[in-house]
Amino acid sequence: MNNPSDATTGLPAFENHSKQVVKTTTCYMCACRCGIKVTLEDNQVRFIQGNRDHPVNKGVLCAKGNAGIMKQQSPAKLTQPLLRKPGTERGAGEFEPISWDAALQMLGKRLKHIRETDPQQLAFFTGRDQMQALTGFWASQFGTVNWAAHGGFCSVNMAAGGLYSVGQSFWEFGEPDWDNAKYFMMWGVAEDHASNPIKIGLEKLKRNGAKFVAVNPVRTGYQAIADEWVGIKPGTDGLLALSFVHVLLKNDQFDWDFLTRYTNGTQLVIDAPGTSKDGMLYRDADDELLAVDLDTDSFKPWSDVSAKPALFGEYTGANGEKLKTVMTELAEKYLDEQYAPENVAAETGISAETIERLALEMAHVAFQESIVIDTPWTDWAGRKHDQFIGRPVAMHAMRGISAHSNGFQTCRAIHLVQVLLGAIDSPGSHLAKPPFPRHIAPPVKPAKPQGPNTPLKSPPLGFPMAPEDLVIDDDGEPLRIDKAYSWEAPIANHGMMHMVISNAVKGDPYTIDTLMLFMANMSWNSSMNTAEVQEMLRTKGEDGEYKIPFIVTSDAFHSEMVNYSDLVLPDTTYLERFDTISILDRPISEPHAVCDSIRQPIIEIDRDVRPWQEVLIELGTELGFPALTKEDGSAKFKGYEDFIVNWEKSPGIGFLAGFRGTQGEKSLVGEPNPNQWQDYIDNGCFFQQDLPPEHRYYRFANKSYLEWAASVGFNAHDGPIVMELYSEVVQKFRLAGQGLYDGPQPKHETDKQRLIKYFDPLPFWYQPIEESRVDNEEYTFHAVNQRPMFMYHSWDSQNSWLRQIMAQNYLYMNRAKGVSMGIEDMSWVWLESHNGKVRCQVKLMEGCNPDTVWTWNAIGKQSGAWGLDKDAPESTRGFLMNHLISELLPAQDGERSLTNSDPVTGQAAWYDLKVKITPAKLGETGVYPTFDTIKPLPGMSDSPDTLRYATHEPVNLVRSIKDTLTKGGL
Amino acid sequence: MKLGLVIDLDTCVGCHACAVACKQWNTSGTTGPLSDYEPYGKEPSGVWFNRIRHYEVDEYPHNKTINTPMSCMHCDDAACVTVCPTGASYKREEDGIVLVDQSKCMGCNLCAWACPYGARELDQEQGVMKKCTLCVDRIYDVNLPKEDRQPACVLTCPTSARFFGDFDDPNSEVSTLVRERGGYAMMPEVGYNPVNKYLPPRERPTAPQATKTAETNGSADASTKTQSLLGKWLQKQKSAFDSLGER
Amino acid sequence: MHPAPSVIIFTVTAGAGYGLLFWLALSRLAGLTPTISNGQFIAVGIIGLILVTVGLLSSTLHLANPKNAWRSFMRFRTSWLSREAVFAVLFYPLALLWLLLSGNAFLSLLVAALCIVILVCTAMIYASLKTIRQWNNALTPVNFVLLGLSAGAALFTLITLIQGVYTPRVLALTIAVIAAAAFSKLLYFSWIGQPAGPTINTALGFTRATVQLLDVGHSSDTFLTKEFGYEVARAKIIWARVIAIVVGFVLPLVFLTGLLGTPGIAHAALASLMVLAGVFVERWLFFAEARHVVTLYHGQQRT
Repeated sequence: MNNPSDATTGLPAFENHSKQVVKTTTCYMCACRCGIKVTLEDNQVRFIQGNRDHPVNKGVLCAKGNAGIMKQQSPAKLTQPLLRKPGTERGAGEFEPISWDAALQMLGKRLKHIRETDPQQLAFFTGRDQMQALTGFWASQFGTVNWAAHGGFCSVNMAAGGLYSVGQSFWEFGEPDWDNAKYFMMWGVAEDHASNPIKIGLEKLKRNGAKFVAVNPVRTGYQAIADEWVGIKPGTDGLLALSFVHVLLKNDQFDWDFLTRYTNGTQLVIDAPGTSKDGMLYRDADDELLAVDLDTDSFKPWSDVSAKPALFGEYTGANGEKLKTVMTELAEKYLDEQYAPENVAAETGISAETIERLALEMAHVAFQESIVIDTPWTDWAGRKHDQFIGRPVAMHAMRGISAHSNGFQTCRAIHLVQVLLGAIDSPGSHLAKPPFPRHIAPPVKPAKPQGPNTPLKSPPLGFPMAPEDLVIDDDGEPLRIDKAYSWEAPIANHGMMHMVISNAVKGDPYTIDTLMLFMANMSWNSSMNTAEVQEMLRTKGEDGEYKIPFIVTSDAFHSEMVNYSDLVLPDTTYLERFDTISILDRPISEPHAVCDSIRQPIIEIDRDVRPWQEVLIELGTELGFPALTKEDGSAKFKGYEDFIVNWEKSPGIGFLAGFRGTQGEKSLVGEPNPNQWQDYIDNGCFFQQDLPPEHRYYRFANKSYLEWAASVGFNAHDGPIVMELYSEVVQKFRLAGQGLYDGPQPKHETDKQRLIKYFDPLPFWYQPIEESRVDNEEYTFHAVNQRPMFMYHSWDSQNSWLRQIMAQNYLYMNRAKGVSMGIEDMSWVWLESHNGKVRCQVKLMEGCNPDTVWTWNAIGKQSGAWGLDKDAPESTRGFLMNHLISELLPAQDGERSLTNSDPVTGQAAWYDLKVKITPAKLGETGVYPTFDTIKPLPGMSDSPDTLRYATHEPVNLVRSIKDTLTKGGL
Repeated sequence: MKLGLVIDLDTCVGCHACAVACKQWNTSGTTGPLSDYEPYGKEPSGVWFNRIRHYEVDEYPHNKTINTPMSCMHCDDAACVTVCPTGASYKREEDGIVLVDQSKCMGCNLCAWACPYGARELDQEQGVMKKCTLCVDRIYDVNLPKEDRQPACVLTCPTSARFFGDFDDPNSEVSTLVRERGGYAMMPEVGYNPVNKYLPPRERPTAPQATKTAETNGSADASTKTQSLLGKWLQKQKSAFDSLGER
Repeated sequence: MHPAPSVIIFTVTAGAGYGLLFWLALSRLAGLTPTISNGQFIAVGIIGLILVTVGLLSSTLHLANPKNAWRSFMRFRTSWLSREAVFAVLFYPLALLWLLLSGNAFLSLLVAALCIVILVCTAMIYASLKTIRQWNNALTPVNFVLLGLSAGAALFTLITLIQGVYTPRVLALTIAVIAAAAFSKLLYFSWIGQPAGPTINTALGFTRATVQLLDVGHSSDTFLTKEFGYEVARAKIIWARVIAIVVGFVLPLVFLTGLLGTPGIAHAALASLMVLAGVFVERWLFFAEARHVVTLYHGQQRT
């Protein structure tokens, strides 16, 4: 083509490039962590674009990333530390400025006392935190187990379901092989953490002619471009997945070799009801897992390379135990007619024909359209393969699966479909991202309290493998304020942030002194039951003291939570500070590359704010954390940057994996490099080490990969990662519920019943718990919500550009259904649940499951927050579904109050909600409930009436008068 | 040269990235700033050159959601130019880009009335009409890396649903796409010959299915069927192994 | 389309002014008012020019950047707005000379022609827009001319009655032109009632199934929705049409044809007021009923 850039244009110089400088950093408009190039002009942002070299976004950037300028311009930016004005009530919004010195002294003194007496009196919870490795480290050094980030109310079901089944999961853990997949099924995803990678990937699929099937009650977002939309009823995805399993088994469509070699399908389940062995896997005296060797018809260790293990069969153990292979157990369970497509059609809302067809389409692609990559490799048993065989069926699942109380088992059911198809880490399927896959489960146990002035022995969050690992006291009662890792939520691997305020205010399991929050909007959209949570935050005891005596918030913006804080420590924006996106956290790796990244300050700070990580290091040093101080009590590190470079988790391993070694010549493992930050900056603020071709697939069993992964500290050993179709870990908890476990057992009947019911070692489907407890004749609709693409995981929907796209959310429902109920488009309705009611405005649409209503989440704001005018639509017409959702399950007789969460993982069950709709009366318009207008903070400037942002005077392209007069019309 | 865009409705997920990238670049661009009114107030709005709208085609359950980014189509027969009384609106001879000379516009809105596509928006603060410049201030800027000399919307699009190029060149990417994918113009009946084209959603052939091997004998009960399958697999076990190691 | 008051006032008053001046010129040429004195002639001319000037000034209120209004003469070759501006400005010296020379015949012819040309130019600003089918038809310029002439004729009848120079031919012509305008307008209403033009399907290129707007992509009104998204209830439109027809045409004809007694100054005054009021309502309708095709993208099924 005629490349326009080659033309001699005679155009004026539009940009004064000599005044501009381009710097790289990492975006933080959401959790996707794209690489960006920022063009600066006079300390102002001229342009933010994607970094073409970056592994995550490869040059593209979403709407949020493109709106970074307006984050920086936000009038809601906090400008100085603030203290709740003495004598005023919490939530009244009366603050006075306080110096950093005074603020840190006040906080330090309080924390010192807590640490010296009972460190658990500090609860430290973070929101869309991208430095959990640091905040978790800090909590661990402080000695409090009461730490977690927002994963517990976001997607722990996905992480846990995956890590306990296939050693990886979605997003940071693994992603579809976008380049090679021929069939892609997306479950419960509106927009996602991996915002740009999914978009990049979907385009590749479409270009390559792959089929894209979207399972989602609502056809918006990615579902728009799906080749087939499966408008499922919320909360029934597990049933659909297990019906796929039924069809696959029934038609003999599963990857026999894959199951035999890489899963525990050949291991033997003991059938011994009423004993502690029941449901456990059969082992020899050396505790080796056994399988039946078909050649010798005898038991041999599963790891015996010479054996030909039986995938099916019933056997008798050495001591007469009744044994069945896992695969037999599994086949018997899912071949049952209850999983037949015609028997799940009504519950899922998907026709039997569709279910069967989808399963057979996937099977066809997996087995008739297999792909091979001609790279020789050796598996864990030493078997040599000349190629990687690929089953090009890929999947991605997220919030719509996760945010149900059956999400853990549903996630496992989806992984089961993948494993049956051989579609895990094989070409064209679902690929792990280093450091994943990891052994089941990663060898980190949740920490238990240690006592005053003592760091925890591990990070607060870990992976329980048995009831012994629960964080409970001798009476079996929870030791964590959120009750994570208790009998109520044994595998609550991300904590249960949504329970912290409610539990602390009730003193159940105990009261706390200080709640420290970092960018977590717990008095608004991040809490269930928002209005009552605000009430709880104001609740005082008989002594006149607040039930939660001291609340500290670090945030960059005037959020609703800031309004409910006692001490506000203003943070910087993402363009104003150093940050690490650490390999010790959830790094930015790609399937075929180990990656991590940093942020560097792009813009000079113009107000009295400090990066929270700097504050944490300073506070920790002041408090004498062993990892941060020398024996004489002096600081080991000169601040955050110095800490990141020089702190080592174990010799040679630190927060950043790239440019290690004294000269920056080593990767992953190496001595601290004093120039590490600069080396990152010089490399575009990220590190990327590509894996060699033989390390790119089958990594759960890839000998050379496993050895390397162990050598760089990803895994504790180089043995194979055996996928667990059958989870013995889960069975142990069930045995505990049955009173058969040889170890800790629950005391309360409720816990016993829950363990028996929900801890099935094979995936199963159950009705979401709230749904099973409300009157479904009255509350006929499922209610779910999603974030729009241009705001997903975005910490500032007050962004003046993004809010122009959406400043009011509607309640969407199926058009024909609405019409049949006499509900008109754009009319106001009452939406009621067992927990409360809201008034909102309806929009009718086609692409919505008829039994479902939904809305965009977190559009509604409290009046006056986020720098918005008091009559902004976000507060007058926008609404939160949160008011309808209780953090507790509807009560049942003889039962203590229970968290509205997945009984396995403690994942907040946002989407279990059932509602009813009634038209509002004539004249009843506007949102309900409404809240008092939050007062502006001292030092904040008024929000402008007009914005005319530009970094320079425009250079107009002038049309000459001669041209005007002489040229024709066109 | 006839510069313009091709937009792929098969891959556009309606994320608004292009619209915001456009806003971002152009607010400091040649016709900037793009004013925002009540940015934190009751009715936030402003000047945008590119807007994304979302539609539903057909009815439940056959519905399909379509996202359509729309900006200036840089029409061959651009009535917005001919109706302009001041000559502020013009179409560049060199490349066909339709522009508004900000120093000459009197803000009569007639060009916006003439435009069927809603491509022109008045900047109320400045009193002049603004529109997509096809990033004329990027695409010719030799100080930018060559691969960056594209409109901001094209650079940013996460699903590569936007293509920029020369429609006069039959071998350009845009011409090829239009030819091969059946690219079409929106509302052609108005007769302005829009340069920008849209690629319709791809039609996928019916996906093949694995052969059903399940016994269709409906008379046997479920557990009998299961046992018969398990029996089959037990028999198959040994021979299954003989094929192992071949791969 | 948003019925901007400035544009309605402009087209109604300037239209009436050019209409009045047209009749003045015609009366000179055809000897309709043989007894008119020079002073009376000039007085009528000044009234006409005042109406025109008020209208033109009003039109500049519509401009967002009036300091560039002078540039509107630049695109005479293609822009009807430019042509209108050029002719409207040329009209002043010509009209003043014409008045000074007490209605020179050649100038009278020029003035009469120019009045029509300007009315046509104004109409063509709208009629040339293919984006609005209610405007983009031959009836638009016909209506603009006939309605301008109707208002001008009613005023001319009134003024000549007051001046005492009235002749029955003036009344006959007035009745004829109002009747013609009424006929033309009724034809127009019937014409735009026929479904035609682009639909939401052709706008988006999906013609084989229904297309409905799901989300317009912005929460508040934008320039586009404010400018083009004017929505009026159908009942209000019907009422406005009835009022326009009855007040603008029927009642004036009733007054002027002598059905309520021999027409006198009072009748003519009422008729003039009513024609003007009717045209005002008609002009509001002209905008309010106009459906720009961009509204298809905002969710309208058809224009």
